Amino acid sequence: MTAIPVESALWYNKGVDLLRVSVTARESAGEPYTLVEIIGEADVTNTDELRRLLDDEVSKQPRTMIIDLSGLRFMDSSALHALLRANRSLDRQGGVLALVSPQPAVAKILRLTTADRLIPVFASVADAAAG
Amino acid sequence: MPSMSADDMSYGYTTDLAAVRAVVYRYAKKAGLPEHRAIDLVLAVSEVAANTVRHAKSPGSLKIWYDTQEIICQIEDEGTIHDPLAGRRKPSMDAMGGHGLWIVRQVCDDVEMRSDETGTTIRLHMKLPRPRPGS
Repeated sequence: MTAIPVESALWYNKGVDLLRVSVTARESAGEPYTLVEIIGEADVTNTDELRRLLDDEVSKQPRTMIIDLSGLRFMDSSALHALLRANRSLDRQGGVLALVSPQPAVAKILRLTTADRLIPVFASVADAAAG
Repeated sequence: MPSMSADDMSYGYTTDLAAVRAVVYRYAKKAGLPEHRAIDLVLAVSEVAANTVRHAKSPGSLKIWYDTQEIICQIEDEGTIHDPLAGRRKPSMDAMGGHGLWIVRQVCDDVEMRSDETGTTIRLHMKLPRPRPGS
């Protein structure tokens, strides 16, 4: 029996060894958004799963997708590409991607590749949802 | 160039990159690398080892050693890098690949790369902070 968060219409966990991703449909001031939490370590060994999951969510055409990185200890360049791909697809369909609360190692690769200038980074999910 | 001694380690890997990262972090801290540089070294080694997972058909091996000046991580696999300038130019943000070696060159103090049809050896150097006088 899986607990379903009260604010959620949609929720699932996908265990891919090191990586756990959960997706929640939420609302902020009447505006719906998709919250994706990525927990663990994202690297080339689980990028395919991450990319598929993000593709699935992007194909549902959310206006706003927020990716909470606070539980992600590590991200390599292949996982970064999965985020960039989601950002590009969302952008093309008029949606917005935001990142939240990267840990130091993740913040480093975002800064180094200047991905953090392409995708806005917020300190909290509430900040990101407020835009 | 420091040579290997009793305190050094050698580690084989196939796809367990998290274990590779944990080993690198532990040795980086033990060698006295500051936290943010340890994070950089972990990122660099993980990117190189990711290339093994992507391209080589056999396991890779990691060796780590350090002296008072620097810590060195050497990653070897049986893959071949054909572009001698690999990682020297920043890929565009639209490029959906090719950031790995560029990142490695950005974060490390020095990178040595040797590649031929028998395999690839990449040596990553990080300078250690000078011990404070009296410590």
